[in-house]
Amino acid sequence: MAVRVVAAAPLLALVVTSAQQPPPPSVRYEQHVFAGGNPPPAGTLENPLAGDKRAAADGEKLFSAFNCDGCHALGAVGGQGPSLADGRWRYGGADGAIFQSIYYGRPRGMPAFGGVLPPEAIWRLVTYLQTLTPATDPATVSW
Amino acid sequence: MIASTLLVVILAQSATPDQWTMPAKDYSATRYSALAQINASNVRRLRATWSFSTGVLAGHEGQPLVVNQTMYVVTPYPNVLYAFDLTQEGYPLRWKYRPNVDAVAIGMACCDVVNRGAFFADGKIVYNLLDGHTVAIDAATGKQVWNTQVADIRQGESTPMAPLVVRDRVIVGTAGGEYGVRGWVKGLDLATGRILWTAYNAGPDAEVLARPETFKPFYDTGPSLGEKTWPPDGWKHGGAPVWGWLSYDPALDLFYYGTGNPAPYNAEQRPGDNKWATSVLARRPADGALVWAYQFTPADNWDYDSVQEMILADLKVKGRTRKVLVHFDKNGFAYTIDRATGEVLVAEPYVVVNWAKRVDLKTGRPEVDPAKLTGASRGSVKDICPTLEGGKNQQPAAYSPRTGLFYVPTNNMCMDYQTTPTTYIVGTPFIGLNAPYKPGPGGNLGALIAWNAAAGKQVWAIREKYPVWSGALATAGGLVFYGTLDGWFKAVDAKTGSALWKFKVGSGVVGNPITFTGPDGKQHLAVYAGIGGDWALLAGDVRSDDPADVRPPLSVMPDIARHTSLGGIVWLFAL
Repeated sequence: MAVRVVAAAPLLALVVTSAQQPPPPSVRYEQHVFAGGNPPPAGTLENPLAGDKRAAADGEKLFSAFNCDGCHALGAVGGQGPSLADGRWRYGGADGAIFQSIYYGRPRGMPAFGGVLPPEAIWRLVTYLQTLTPATDPATVSW
Repeated sequence: MIASTLLVVILAQSATPDQWTMPAKDYSATRYSALAQINASNVRRLRATWSFSTGVLAGHEGQPLVVNQTMYVVTPYPNVLYAFDLTQEGYPLRWKYRPNVDAVAIGMACCDVVNRGAFFADGKIVYNLLDGHTVAIDAATGKQVWNTQVADIRQGESTPMAPLVVRDRVIVGTAGGEYGVRGWVKGLDLATGRILWTAYNAGPDAEVLARPETFKPFYDTGPSLGEKTWPPDGWKHGGAPVWGWLSYDPALDLFYYGTGNPAPYNAEQRPGDNKWATSVLARRPADGALVWAYQFTPADNWDYDSVQEMILADLKVKGRTRKVLVHFDKNGFAYTIDRATGEVLVAEPYVVVNWAKRVDLKTGRPEVDPAKLTGASRGSVKDICPTLEGGKNQQPAAYSPRTGLFYVPTNNMCMDYQTTPTTYIVGTPFIGLNAPYKPGPGGNLGALIAWNAAAGKQVWAIREKYPVWSGALATAGGLVFYGTLDGWFKAVDAKTGSALWKFKVGSGVVGNPITFTGPDGKQHLAVYAGIGGDWALLAGDVRSDDPADVRPPLSVMPDIARHTSLGGIVWLFAL
């Protein structure tokens, strides 16, 4: 059992074991370079909850309940893991790219949550992250 | 007989002032060098003689080794080991060793992907890879002699600390207090890397290696304190990691180390003292047997790890010469402890402290201010001093037997502390905390202080704008060296603290200076530049290596990025 409940976390009710969940379809990373200019044939993932305020609020709770804030900090402004609130994305900011980062993890330390969070919950996290508004001019720091 | 012969060899080796063979110069962890060619009257002529980019941008904690005219440098992840030939012009590499380190480790290191250095023993350079492996590399050829997995990175165990080698034992520990690990130290065979014993810092006596016939703590009594001072099973993910410095007393045959915070940060999830988190433990190197232990911060409410170095000295305390260890805890108290028994002789604040009024020397326990207790039900508890960064973090102090003073890099910051209930999920952080910092009284965020550990009194202080995150070096030349986060490497007078010399090294200093005699017969100094080692230090635009990661500045030092950016450089200095 991968999740051991030490404290009561009501949002765990959202969680079912991943065995019952179909894996997400293969997706194309739109930000990659396509050799020959030809995108590989593959599907795209779209956030079914895009813009849903209640889903975003749930996502914010999940962000703490699943310890995302332990690395990315409160408000996802960056800690040990990169900022997710600056409007910039190491692995792509499209719906499917963020989903896949959470579901499958990333090689520089991002754990794969697809085994403990169903796609429904991951979409709530994606919805939350997409509501975060970057500072007006993150590119320039002056003193 | 064989053991005692080896002991003589080891002592002779560490006593050589010309070389630097272990992290803290000697087993006593003094970071004191008997070299005196560079002194208070000529240090103004000190100049940079050489520099080398390590090619790595993370925080460069730790220090080089210098053995047999070769300087050894371990980088942060990916833990490259460089061997520089000091006999050739420009100090070209004899060899370099590039281990295959699992990138997963980047996500399992709470506080930057640092490495705190290597240990030279028996012709081998022994050090830890961040992903939970200890390696021994032939110092002459760069060939790997052995590579042992000691920690499980996928359980949140990582290994940034520097090993200690005693006779034929390599002693290593695990980090991961922010991942709910169950902290331990292990003893490996120096020849083969085989793990010979494992000693947990919490849990049943049998696994803590606390045997009734050998374990005699000064203050505590009763069996299985490492289990009974936790809620049921709490110790299984209770932290108490080992990511700092180890020291060793050959006469007592004890090694000493401190343990980190109990997990998670919300103390209401782990009622009890949580032994032996936030403690000092004294063990036998041969079999790991626990001989005594003392907990600095029972039921830690503030992330006050105790992994800071234990410096061994013989001091006259209250009229009597005592074999002591001196420890500057994150909790803000400086402790002078009888290192044979664990009795606390002196415990006085070395920075501004308000979470406790004093330490009761009869019981060894702090008198905690109940208004500063934290926990999820208490919300944000305001104005706690010091912060979870500590009165001092891992950056090691130095001790000069000539002046009798300890030279301590310190932080001057306070915090608000709000914890939340947290669920343990393997492979993710087990923290639950929001703790903004603010400057401590006076407004300066740090200072280098000189400390009289027999009296428990500060002798002088040099205020610094930023937290002092480098280690200190004391020399027989009457000097103390240290670096600053805004990128200065400085020399001051050991008696008075007067500023004598400084040089801008290109990035903030979080490493520890060392000194040695080169093949040219001259005294050299070495230090790393390369800010990092804690996410707070990397806030704002200090980190410029990732276009997809732009962060707001840290409120207490919004302008740090005006003075420094990432970058690992090894510097050498000589007259």
